[in-house]
Amino acid sequence: MATLEELTTEATAEIEAAKPLYKQVNKERLEFTDDDYAQAVTDLANSKWNEQEFGYIQARQEAYGSIADQLDMQYWDKVNGTNTWQEHIAQVKSDNPKPA
Amino acid sequence: MAGSLIKIDEEIVTSAVASVELGGTDWDSSYDVYQLVISNMEMSLNNAQIRLKFLAGGTPQSTSNYDEASKVLVSNTTFANNSLPNYSAFVITYVGASTDTNARFNSNHFLFNMNNASEYSFMTQETSAFKNGAVLEGKQGGGVYTVAEAHNGVEITALGGNVTAGTFTLYGLKK
Repeated sequence: MATLEELTTEATAEIEAAKPLYKQVNKERLEFTDDDYAQAVTDLANSKWNEQEFGYIQARQEAYGSIADQLDMQYWDKVNGTNTWQEHIAQVKSDNPKPA
Repeated sequence: MAGSLIKIDEEIVTSAVASVELGGTDWDSSYDVYQLVISNMEMSLNNAQIRLKFLAGGTPQSTSNYDEASKVLVSNTTFANNSLPNYSAFVITYVGASTDTNARFNSNHFLFNMNNASEYSFMTQETSAFKNGAVLEGKQGGGVYTVAEAHNGVEITALGGNVTAGTFTLYGLKK
C-alpha cells in the first residue's frame, strides 16, 4: 500500500504533466496560480488515498447482486442444498479486498 | 410566479478548464436560498470526479469538513448508498464522468445558509449523468460544510481532468 507521501509524489507528477491548467472565473480563462496548482496536487493525492483505503466499499456495492437476486440465490440454495449465495458474497469480497 | 429566480452569475465553458467558479465578486448576499444548475457538462477524462467546494471571501475552501450522503441510482447495477464524511470537497459524481460522445453530466443544487457566518452552509444535489457504455447514473442527496462561516460562491472542479464544455449558472431565489 502506498503512503500518502508516495501518492502525493504521484499526484504531483500527474499535475505537472497536465500543465498548464486553467480555471474559468468572471467569464475569463485564467491559468492556475501556484496556490491553485498546490491545491490540485493535494486534492488529487487525497482522492488517491481515499480510493486506496475506501474504494473497496464502492467496488463491493457495485459487484453484489441485487437484494432480490440474493434472496433468490438463498431460496434455491435451501431447496437444492447448494452454496451459491455464500460463494457469491465470498467472491465479491475476495475480488475487492479490504486494505490490510 | 414570474421573476422569482434571479440569475447571479453564469459561466459557459467552451475551452478546457480544470475548474469553474461562480459567485465571488458577482455574489449577491440578499438571498436566503440559491440554486446552482450545471447543464451539459462534458469531461476530458473517463471516471473523473466532479467536485464542488464553497468559496469564502472568494477563495475555494479545501478543509476536510465536507460531509455528504446520497442515494445512487445506476441503470446497470444495484443502487448504492454513498456516504463521504470529512472530505475536502463534495463529490457530486459517484463513479465519475465520461468522454463518450453522448456522455453529459447535468445537476441541480440548492444552497442554504450561505450568508450566515455563524451557521454551517448546506447543499442538496440531484444529478443525472450519462456515462461510459450508455449507463445512466442518478444521485440524490445532500451535504453540509461543517465550518460556521459565510460563503460567497462555489467552485466546480474536474479532479485529474478538464471540463471541456458546459453551462454553469447560479441563481438567487427571490424572497
